[in-house]
Amino acid sequence: MGMVSASTLRRWQYLLGIVLIVVLGIHLAFRWPSYEQSISYPVVVNQILNYGYIAAIYILLYAALAHGLIGFRTLLLELWHWKYARITVDVVLIIIGVAVAVIGTIALTGAILTLAH
Amino acid sequence: MSSQQTGTALQTTAATEKITITKPPLGSPIRRTYVFKVKRYDPERGGGYYWREYKIELTNHETVLDGLIKIKWHQDATLSFRYSCRMGICGSCGMIINGVPRLACETKPYDLGTEVVTIEPLSNFEPIKDVATDFSDFFRKHRSVKPWLIRKDETEQFEKLETYYPQTEEQLNEYLEFAYCIKCGLCYSACPMVFLNKDYLGPQALAQAYRWSADNRDEGAVLRLKVVDSENGVWSCHYSGTCSKVCPKDVDPALAINLLKNWLLTGRRRR
Amino acid sequence: MAQQKQVKRVPPKWSLWFRGGLDEWLLIFQKVSGAILVIYLIAHTLVISTALGFGHPSELTWNTVIGFVEGPHVAGPAHVGTIIEYLIALLAAVHGGANGFRLILTQYFGVGLPRPERHTFPRAVPSVKKSGQAWLKYVAIIVVIIFLILATLVAFVW
Repeated sequence: MGMVSASTLRRWQYLLGIVLIVVLGIHLAFRWPSYEQSISYPVVVNQILNYGYIAAIYILLYAALAHGLIGFRTLLLELWHWKYARITVDVVLIIIGVAVAVIGTIALTGAILTLAH
Repeated sequence: MSSQQTGTALQTTAATEKITITKPPLGSPIRRTYVFKVKRYDPERGGGYYWREYKIELTNHETVLDGLIKIKWHQDATLSFRYSCRMGICGSCGMIINGVPRLACETKPYDLGTEVVTIEPLSNFEPIKDVATDFSDFFRKHRSVKPWLIRKDETEQFEKLETYYPQTEEQLNEYLEFAYCIKCGLCYSACPMVFLNKDYLGPQALAQAYRWSADNRDEGAVLRLKVVDSENGVWSCHYSGTCSKVCPKDVDPALAINLLKNWLLTGRRRR
Repeated sequence: MAQQKQVKRVPPKWSLWFRGGLDEWLLIFQKVSGAILVIYLIAHTLVISTALGFGHPSELTWNTVIGFVEGPHVAGPAHVGTIIEYLIALLAAVHGGANGFRLILTQYFGVGLPRPERHTFPRAVPSVKKSGQAWLKYVAIIVVIIFLILATLVAFVW
């Protein structure tokens, strides 16, 4: 990410952090009132068909990945000083991020489409 | 050891890690024997760090630096440490005294209140010999933030200066706090992020970047912001504030760094 | 220098961290919890995607995968997985609440960031110790404690 300045990256990370407080709050609030019940299959189907909740989950997936990987990149670059550390870390983290985002999107979208019909 | 007054206890303020100095007791000085436990290192001897203990009698008016000088004169001429002014101006005698980075010339064993005084070289610095440490990285980082007045007009800056740069009291207050820095390296030594990230510019250099950029006579803020806007610049700081807690001149580098971050994020200097 | 250096620079004393207050701990905690959370996030996304059959959900796959990650039953309604999830949620709350939100407020919005002033040297109060920063830390601690109570009820009691 040579073209993006560190402060731009950090501004994004901070804004996403604020977004995350909201959507992660929603995600955790849906464990209410009992964690064990909230992850049983019938309840999960209900959750997936709740479009407000599912919107929060989509935002959570992308925002958390971006926020987490920017933070992880900072951490790695602080500890690892090698000539090619920056490009290596950037490439590896972008690949991981895109892969996880694609898998999550496919699973989530597929589940919604299957269950909605 | 003749002590006429029992030394009234010294109160250390836990908040700032600085010693509250009580008024010097009247009458003859209070003599006490201290054990100076010094962490030493000799590159010619080999084998890394080793500890030596010295017994030394000091009054309540004498500092740790006075003690070290006495040791060098009377007990062990091989003991190495760096000092110059002996009055907290030059910033040469920074060392870890009883676990906290302090200036040896401003710390009295009497005020520390312990019989054993441990003295170690500054952390985060490469040792040269004994308590003397290598400051070349530190000054290289300081230089990298361009700590001088920069004018857009190069003729004016380097060849002929024809005007004065007036400054009001308010404009002075914008940066004066950070101009008290004596480059002693205590903040750099205390910073946990400098240890984690060895390329981190450190609190001293970043505070100076703000000090010069906030000066109304300066026009080089853009150049400095470019230097500090990186993973090894201000963004390594997490505002633990250790730098500000140990600064012997109350410069508050943590505030300067966070003002820089705020400047970078919002695009303008906070006034 | 003729001699090869046999010693390296030493880290700042840990004892410094016990005297300085909360701040240094918040820093190290933010680093460690951030690293754990990002690894958890990736694992969690992959596990839930598998449990949803990568877009073809069925009760059987869901129960198999979730049953596997939940692990054996511990006590009351709680499984091993419940405890892990509970700890992760707590970590996220403390990670964001303790230092993250404080840094965002301070650095972006300048909350609790004092103006430079002509201080009365010596014995000035460093900015981290000023009341503006102090109340941010207390609010963070209170929020985390409330979250801790709610999360405990959800995971282990109800």
